[in-house]
Amino acid sequence: MTLAVETKKLRKLFGPIKALDELSFQVEEGEIYGLIGPNGAGKTTCLRIISTLILPTSGSATVFDHNVVKEATEIRKLITYLPEEAGAYKNLSGLEYLEFMAKFSTRNKKETESIIDNAAKISGLGSRLNDKVKTYSKGMKRRLLVARALMTRPRLAVLDEPTSGLDVLHSFHVRGIIKEYVKQHGVTVLLSSHNMLEVEFLCDKVALVNKGRIIAEGTPDELKTKNKVSNLEEAFAKVVGLA
Amino acid sequence: MLKGLSTIVIKEIKELVRDPKILIGMIIVPLIMFPLMGFAVQTSRQSAEESLKLVPIAVADFDQSSSSRNLTNYIGSQTNLQVTWLNVSTVDDALDFMRDSNATVLIVIPRDFGLNLSTWGKGVVEVFSVFSGKSITEDVGSQVVNAYLDAYNSRWEPLALKQSSIVKGEPVNVDPQILFGLTFSQVFIMPFTILMLLIFAMQIAATSVAMEKEEKTLETLLTVPVSRFTILAGKLAGSVVVALVGAAAYLVGFVYYFSSFSFVTDTGGVSVDLAALGLMPSSLGYVLIGASLFVSLLSALALAVVLSAFADDVRGAQSLVGFLYVLFILPMFFMMFSDINTLPLPLRILLLAIPYTHPMLAAKASITGDYLLAGLGVVYVSLFTVVVLYLAARLFATEKILTMKLKFGWFRRGKKQVVEELQ
Repeated sequence: MTLAVETKKLRKLFGPIKALDELSFQVEEGEIYGLIGPNGAGKTTCLRIISTLILPTSGSATVFDHNVVKEATEIRKLITYLPEEAGAYKNLSGLEYLEFMAKFSTRNKKETESIIDNAAKISGLGSRLNDKVKTYSKGMKRRLLVARALMTRPRLAVLDEPTSGLDVLHSFHVRGIIKEYVKQHGVTVLLSSHNMLEVEFLCDKVALVNKGRIIAEGTPDELKTKNKVSNLEEAFAKVVGLA
Repeated sequence: MLKGLSTIVIKEIKELVRDPKILIGMIIVPLIMFPLMGFAVQTSRQSAEESLKLVPIAVADFDQSSSSRNLTNYIGSQTNLQVTWLNVSTVDDALDFMRDSNATVLIVIPRDFGLNLSTWGKGVVEVFSVFSGKSITEDVGSQVVNAYLDAYNSRWEPLALKQSSIVKGEPVNVDPQILFGLTFSQVFIMPFTILMLLIFAMQIAATSVAMEKEEKTLETLLTVPVSRFTILAGKLAGSVVVALVGAAAYLVGFVYYFSSFSFVTDTGGVSVDLAALGLMPSSLGYVLIGASLFVSLLSALALAVVLSAFADDVRGAQSLVGFLYVLFILPMFFMMFSDINTLPLPLRILLLAIPYTHPMLAAKASITGDYLLAGLGVVYVSLFTVVVLYLAARLFATEKILTMKLKFGWFRRGKKQVVEELQ
């Protein structure tokens, strides 16, 4: 079993604020793993550490056995990261944006074109890709960004709230992309969400996060059975003592 | 209505005083910037007043007639003129004296002064004013002397003044007012243009990181498989292009500007080549101006990139960069009103320590020929640029590029009390 991600007693302090409190979990390769929890639970901080954007205060985190502190450059070759409120360069067209991002991972023009074709299919934006990003709706922009995150077939895609703020149709499309594309190409996904239904639909395994700690972990079915509830939302409420 | 109004007022005050950018603006502008600008003007004014108190001049009377003695007595009776009476036989000897003297004006009363007065009704007096091109207050001596001679002309005997200049020790048959006009343009327009260029370039650079933050593209960019230094280098290279275009545009404008002064009409109606007088920048002068401007622009752009990392958005970045303007405005004021060599030593050191003084000095040096100072300035600003680039590289290599924000907790607490009192 190859571990895509492993964190051990991960802590992150922002001054007096404890964002992560000895967070430990493992993500196996090819798995869709979800971190779920309320706002401020520490999900984004965890994803930012794994994406090499910020450093842990203590503890360790590895991505395919590469340490996030010492081997950040190596990790960046293996991952893509989709921040929750990510944007795209508004004066570039969708295609230009995809080309700009693709060039960081390709060696020649042919490879770049192949990746862009792939992204165009994933996004489903068709001819609108020729338009400037500033003319896109929020849903279109998110589809473009999800396509950007998956187009290079990274070994690990880190997706922070992939459907945040999207309407039903766009959410449905994005979820469909992730589920189908990931299974087809064996990409490992680590995502965060506070949409429990989405996580239930997408994830092979989930961790319930609260106040910087994992309070429960398992497959969605395991968590529901263990807590004798019908969905993950109820499971979460029960675990944190709200129900 | 009053309840609603007070609720809005309190909210506004809370929001405004908790914004570090506004806090800096509230502190820097009134408490630092204005006193500094006032100090610059005051120092320059004092320097001008000092030069008015005792104007050193030299007088050579070749006529030695009763009429010429009337004029020399009149000149000698003016308490704010420090007169050196020359006992020389030719005008060239008098000009030789001026080369080694601190006198700013030479009055020559020609041999037939008295005869002209009795025959033609007007006595010719030659006035030579020293021109160095260093300061806008340089013509004070010339103006004082001319005012006294005009007064003599009105009250006593009619005079015909023949104005000439002494440039780099040599007499030039050009009215000094024309040359002082050139100085005026030089000392006012050049620093101001450099100021505008630096401000414009920094505003562009400030948006490079802040735009990424505002558009939420920075996090994605920082996770692509290229080194952080490459990202910084890419951003700076873009800014360098802006700097090069800016410096080139400035130089083109600068050359054109000076070409309009290349020939001036002398007092006899003949054109005089300013380049031949050494009053036009040489090729070395242009190279020094270009080099100084380029390194200054580069450091200003790198500084803008570093500062913009403290801001969340473009507006914030531009506000932060705005506080650097004091580094441009201060030297500009001094360059406009003073000759840096005449300023008190501590002030001189302070001005020379500010990197952005140097392109203005280089522009001035291209006229005055002080190439050593301009060359050293280029070296100094280059070193400063390396330091700023190093800081920028360190900043980009850490998470601070994402997390760094201005915090003024101590000030906020103080303001909180004020708000509580208002409530």
